[in-house]
Amino acid sequence: MEQDNILTMHQVCKSFDKVVALDEVNFELKPKEILGLLGGNGAGKTTLMNILYGLYKADSGSIVLKDQAVTILSPRDALNHGIGMVHQHFLQINNYTVLENIILGSKVSQPLTSNYTAEAAKIKQLCERFGLDINLSDRVETLPMGTRQKVEILKALYRGVHILILDEPTTNLIPQEVDSLFETLKIMVKEGLSIVFITHKLREVLSICDRITVLREGKNVISLTRKDASDEMLVRAMVGDNMDLDKSIMFTDRDKSGSAITKKETLRLEGVSKVNQQKIQELTDISLTINAGEILGVAGVAGNGQRELAEVVMGIQPVSAGKLIFNERDITSLSTKERIAQGFVYIPEDRLADGFLNKASVAHNLILGYHNLEPYSRKGIINWKNVNESSRKMITEYNIKTTGPGEIGGNLSGGNIQRVMIARAFSQPSTLMVAHNPTRGLDIPSMDFVYQKLLQHAAIGASALLLSEDLDELLLICDRIAVMYRGKVVGILPKEKFEKYEIGRLMSGYELESK
Amino acid sequence: MTQLKKSFPYLVSVLAAFLIVGILLWALKFNPLKAYETILFTSFRTPNGFIQTLLKWIPLTLTALAFTVPLSSGKFNIGAEGQLLVGAIGAAAMGIIGKDLPMPVLLPLVIVAGTLAGAFWGLISAWLLYQFNINEILSTVLLNFISFALVDYVATGPWRDPAAGHPTTIQIGQGGFLPMLVSNPPLHSGIILAIIVAAAVYYFTSKTTAGYELVVTGANPRASKVHGIDIRKMFLFSMVIGAAAAGLAGAIEVAGVHHRLIEGLHSNFATLGMIIGLMARGKNSAVPFVAFFIAILEVGGSAMQRTIMVPVQIVLIAEALILIFILLSDIIKRRQK
Ligand SMILES: Nc1ncnc2c1ncn2[C@@H]1O[C@H](COP(=O)(O)OP(=O)(O)OP(=O)(O)O)[C@@H](O)[C@H]1O
Ligand SMILES: [Mg+2]
Repeated sequence: MEQDNILTMHQVCKSFDKVVALDEVNFELKPKEILGLLGGNGAGKTTLMNILYGLYKADSGSIVLKDQAVTILSPRDALNHGIGMVHQHFLQINNYTVLENIILGSKVSQPLTSNYTAEAAKIKQLCERFGLDINLSDRVETLPMGTRQKVEILKALYRGVHILILDEPTTNLIPQEVDSLFETLKIMVKEGLSIVFITHKLREVLSICDRITVLREGKNVISLTRKDASDEMLVRAMVGDNMDLDKSIMFTDRDKSGSAITKKETLRLEGVSKVNQQKIQELTDISLTINAGEILGVAGVAGNGQRELAEVVMGIQPVSAGKLIFNERDITSLSTKERIAQGFVYIPEDRLADGFLNKASVAHNLILGYHNLEPYSRKGIINWKNVNESSRKMITEYNIKTTGPGEIGGNLSGGNIQRVMIARAFSQPSTLMVAHNPTRGLDIPSMDFVYQKLLQHAAIGASALLLSEDLDELLLICDRIAVMYRGKVVGILPKEKFEKYEIGRLMSGYELESK
Repeated sequence: MTQLKKSFPYLVSVLAAFLIVGILLWALKFNPLKAYETILFTSFRTPNGFIQTLLKWIPLTLTALAFTVPLSSGKFNIGAEGQLLVGAIGAAAMGIIGKDLPMPVLLPLVIVAGTLAGAFWGLISAWLLYQFNINEILSTVLLNFISFALVDYVATGPWRDPAAGHPTTIQIGQGGFLPMLVSNPPLHSGIILAIIVAAAVYYFTSKTTAGYELVVTGANPRASKVHGIDIRKMFLFSMVIGAAAAGLAGAIEVAGVHHRLIEGLHSNFATLGMIIGLMARGKNSAVPFVAFFIAILEVGGSAMQRTIMVPVQIVLIAEALILIFILLSDIIKRRQK
C-alpha cells in the first residue's frame, strides 16, 4: 500500500569503507503513526535515520515523500521537507536559554535585535498545543535530561516538521519522564505527525508503537503491527540465533543462588559528604559498606548524587568530610590512579564525556587506565603488538562491531561504544567495580552478557557498586539496594525486602519529607 | 583507506592553491609557469638551493613541533616566537660569557642553555595554566611581546656590537659554533639535532606510556582524568617540551647561522611553524615532511623575487591558500559521508 505511506525508503545501501551498514533496506512510515525501529547494536538504525535526515549520503536507494521522490543532502533539506531528528547524543549550548537554543539557526523576525517576543509567543503556543511544560527562559544546563529532550523536540516542532525521528530518546530518562514523553508523542500523532522511535526497550515498543520494524545487521527482518508482536518474537527477530534464551539471566526466573558474599568488608564509607565549588551540598553524611562478593545497588532518580558518589569512590572528586576505608586501610587521600592500582574499576555513566575517546583508536580506548600494566607496556614503553592482540580478543569476546583495533572510536555505534567500556572494565582483575548505568544503550543480549559478567565477578569474591536508574536491573542482580535522595542514603534494603513499590517510595523522598 | 586516497585532498589543495596564485600572477603580468618552476625547483637545481632548503627546514620543523606537541594534549602554544627568541638569548649569553671555553665544553653548554631558556619561557605560561588556570593562548602571546623587548635589551646593552648598524651582540666564542657538515655551501650540524628531536618526539608520542597519556589527554581530557591520568601535569609537560623545541631552534640559529644574537633572527619561523602544524593536522609524525615542503616553497619564493621580481609575499599567499583548502577538504569529507 505504497500510496498510504507518508514516507518510503527504497533499497537503501550504505557502506563505510569495508563495513556494510545498510544492505538494501526498505522502510515505510504511515501518516499519524508511531513506528518503532528496533535492532541490535550496530544494526544500522542510526545510520538509516541519518540518511533520511541528510547527515549521511546513501550509496544507492531512494526516498519518496508522499508520492514524490526527493533528494536530501543536508539537515536543512530534511527540515525543508518537514523531517526532524533528535539524536542519540544531542548537542545543546549549555549556557543558552531554552528559547535561544530553539531559535538558534532559524530565521527570526527582528534579526538585528535580541527581541524574540514573536518567536517566544509561537513557541509558547506549541508548548500548550503539545502539552510540553517548559520555561523558555531557563538555561538548558540547569534542566534535567527529560526536559532537555523536550527542548530538542520543541526545536523540531518549531521548524514545522511533520515527521519526527527520535533516536533512543528514553535512554537518559527516568520512568516519570518516559511517561510524560509518551504522552507528548500521543498528542503529536493526534495532531497529525508521524514518529520514528528508536529504542532497545521492548516494553516501550509494545506500549506505544503502532507498528514495528526490525533491522538486523543492516538488513530488514520484519515489519509488523503491534497486535501481531510479542516480546519473544521481537527478541528472536533482533538477535537471530545468537542468543540462547534459556541460558539468559533476564528471561529465566532463576534465583541468584550460591552467591559468594562473605562477611569480609571490602569498602566502607564513613560519613562521606561533599560540597561543590558553588557551595552546594551534593552528598550528605553517607555511610555504606560493601562486602567481598557483594553487589550493592544504588537506586535513585537521576541527579540525586549518584554520579558524585561514584566519583568520590573513584577519587575523581575529593570528599569534604568523612572517610573511605578499603580493606581496612584509609584511602580517602589516594588519587584515582592509585585507586585503579588497588583494583578499582569504573564504568562512568556519561560515556561520551567521561568514558570514551572519540578521536582515538579502539585500541587506545581499550587500554585507557591500564596502559601502565603488563602486557600493555613495560618500563614506560607500550607494546603495541600485545595491545592489538588483546584488543582483538576483547573485540571478539565482547562482540564489538568494528573493523579492528585501529578504527577510530567515533565511528562506532552507540551500543558498541558502551561495549568497549564494558570490555575495558572487565579486562582487568578487579576488587571493586563501580558501574554507573552500565547497560545504557545496549541491546538485550548485550545487557544479559553484562549481567552475567557482573555475577561472575561477584562469584570470585570481588565487590561491585552498581548505580542504576533501571530498577529492574537492580532487582535482578543486586544483593542489597541503597536508595539515594538529594545526596543522602535514605534506606538500604536487603534482598528479602526487595519490593518495587517500597523502593519507588524511598526514591521519591517520601520517607524523608514525612519525618 | 589507501594511502593514495588519504593524500588526495592534500594534492588537490596544493594544485588549487597554485592555480589561484597562477591567476594572480598572470593578472599582475608575470609569467606563472616561470614562477611555478622557480618555486618548485630552486631547491633541487643547485647544491646551494638544496642546502638553503635544509637550513630553513631546521627551525621550521622545531617551531612546528613547538606547536604540535602541546596540541597533542589539547593546548595551544602560540608563543613559539618568544620561546625561540629567549632560547637564542640564552644561547648567545652562554656563548659570550664562556667564550674562551673549548668546543667540547662550550658547544653543549650553548645548546643546552638555549633549550632550557626556551623551556623556561614556556614554563611561565604552563605554570600560570597549572596553578591559576590562566588561558595559555593569552599568556604565550603576551610573553612574545616581552621577548621582543628582551632581545632589544640584550642586543643594545653591554654586549652590543658597536660595529654593526643593527641591534646585534658581539660574536659568541668559536667553541660555541656548530661544526659544519658541508663547508661549501655551508650546512651546519644543527640539522642532526633537529632530526633527533623530530624522531624522539615521534617515538615518545607513539611508543611510550607518557606519550600515550599525552595523546589521550588531548583526545578527551575528562575521560583521561576519570581513568587516573593527571591531565594538568600533562598540559604543563607538553607546553614545556614544545617550548624547549622552540628554544633549541633559537640556539641553533645562534650557534649555527649567525654566531650572535641579531634582532629579527626569528624571521617568520613561528608563524610558518603554526601553519605547518595545522597542515599536518597536529600530527607530530607528519611535521618533518610538511616542513620540508614549506621549506621548498620558502626558498623558491625568495629565488623568485630575485630572478623574476615577483614579490615574495606571493608564496605566503600560496601557503595560506593551501592551508585553507586542506581545512575545507575536511568539511567536504564530512559532508560526503
Ligand atoms: N561514520 C561512520 N564511519 C564508519 N562506520 C560507521 C559510521 N557510522 C556508523 N558506522 C558503522 O555502521 C554500523 C551501523 O551503525 P549504527 O550507528 O547505524 O548502529 P545502530 O543500529 O544505531 O546501533 P546502536 O543501537 O548501538 O546505536 C556500525 O557497525 C558502525 O560501526
Ligand atoms: Mg544508534
